[in-house]
Amino acid sequence: MRYAFFPGCSLHASAKECAMSANAVSKCLGIELVEIPEWNCCGSIDAVYAYNPFLSVSLSARNLAIAEKMGMDIVTLCSACFFTLSRASNILRENAEIKKRVAEVINDAGLKFEGGVKVRHYLDVLSNDVGVEEISRQVKVPLGGLRVAPYYGCLVVRPKVIQRFDDPEHPTSMDSVIEALGAEAVYYPDKTRCCGASLVITDESVMMEMAKGLLVTAKNMQADCLATLCPMCHLNLDAKQRDIESHFGVRFGLPVLYLTQLIGVAFGLDPKELGLNRNLVSPMKLLQKTKCG
Amino acid sequence: MKMPGGDKILDCIQCGVCAGSCHARFAMDYSPMQILKMVHLGLRREVLSSSTIWICASCYTCASRCPRSLDIPAIMSGLKNVAMRTNVPAPVALKPIFHRQFTEIIGRYGRMHEPELKMRLMKKTNPFEILQNASFGVRMFRKGKVRLRPSRIGSSTHFSEIFRNASNEERRR
Repeated sequence: MRYAFFPGCSLHASAKECAMSANAVSKCLGIELVEIPEWNCCGSIDAVYAYNPFLSVSLSARNLAIAEKMGMDIVTLCSACFFTLSRASNILRENAEIKKRVAEVINDAGLKFEGGVKVRHYLDVLSNDVGVEEISRQVKVPLGGLRVAPYYGCLVVRPKVIQRFDDPEHPTSMDSVIEALGAEAVYYPDKTRCCGASLVITDESVMMEMAKGLLVTAKNMQADCLATLCPMCHLNLDAKQRDIESHFGVRFGLPVLYLTQLIGVAFGLDPKELGLNRNLVSPMKLLQKTKCG
Repeated sequence: MKMPGGDKILDCIQCGVCAGSCHARFAMDYSPMQILKMVHLGLRREVLSSSTIWICASCYTCASRCPRSLDIPAIMSGLKNVAMRTNVPAPVALKPIFHRQFTEIIGRYGRMHEPELKMRLMKKTNPFEILQNASFGVRMFRKGKVRLRPSRIGSSTHFSEIFRNASNEERRR
């Protein structure tokens, strides 16, 4: 299983632990992630798209065309990249005029968009290419007794332009992966509610209100931790958790792990290799509970 | 570029599913359904100066439930685009600055450099925020989450040409 890996900007900066854990877990599962050489920012949902939509599509087209040269489907972990690359691919395939104009821009660089590669999410690869049976076979430290709230967020399962692999309203693929690790995927009605995303930069109080709701529900469901996929969700729920607590005068102390970190723990990998020391809400107590910290 | 999806706006039947689904409705002055109706009615100034178009977080709950398959977040993006191009002031002044600065940083490095974006935005609006945000910055820094120097792509990759050509192409039209 080889894929053209699109890490995205966060995985090279504030969310390195997402890339670290994904790489470590992939090795155990026989997934080869070949980083797209000299990839560029996708344009992040509508950050560039609202400012200059043609530029946004062209930015994604460059990445898609490089992956096409590699002859592999793209895999990404960031929801924003997943959606933005998928949307561009869709627009280019359906709109001949835009495709022609984009070709004029990228052809000089020796790049061509033919529409040959799929854009896929890592959870899709885990569920459908690897399969939960293989994941459970690799488990060295079953996470028995651990209650995990599966948080999918918005763009992994919902928009119509993505390669859908799960139900947009009631996804279950992450639940199955969590169960395969021996943990319990708790009923989490907010699993696809929005965390506030990039509002963290421009309207922090709005983001805090939205993220607070997710943390309250997870607490109410007596979850020991949240599992997330996306670096943006992780920033708002983990890194911003203390600010949310002081803003509302509440206390959560709820560890938020990347799903790939959680899988790595169950695979018996070194917590450092999974970047667990980089999470702002320390998951170390949780790890002691699983007897692998 | 003409936004794909914008032409479907007249298909809206005002059923209200988007308004009831929106997770950020509490922070908006009009619901998405109201915005669509206001576009029908030609209430240009009210639409372009509303907080709704800027608060939409593109979570796609509304669009995946819309019985007429309207891409509502894309419509909101399009409205933001018109507001920026025609210089209609946004209710939160930071919003248009965010989009411009984000794009500029990508043009410069090929990739996002988070601390630089945050610093640029604070400098433009509220320099005191730098102090208010200091403790968060320190916490992130101590966890190794602040990248001081940007990750950038090589100069031999034609990225700059593609960025420049795509920007100019759009401006020419």
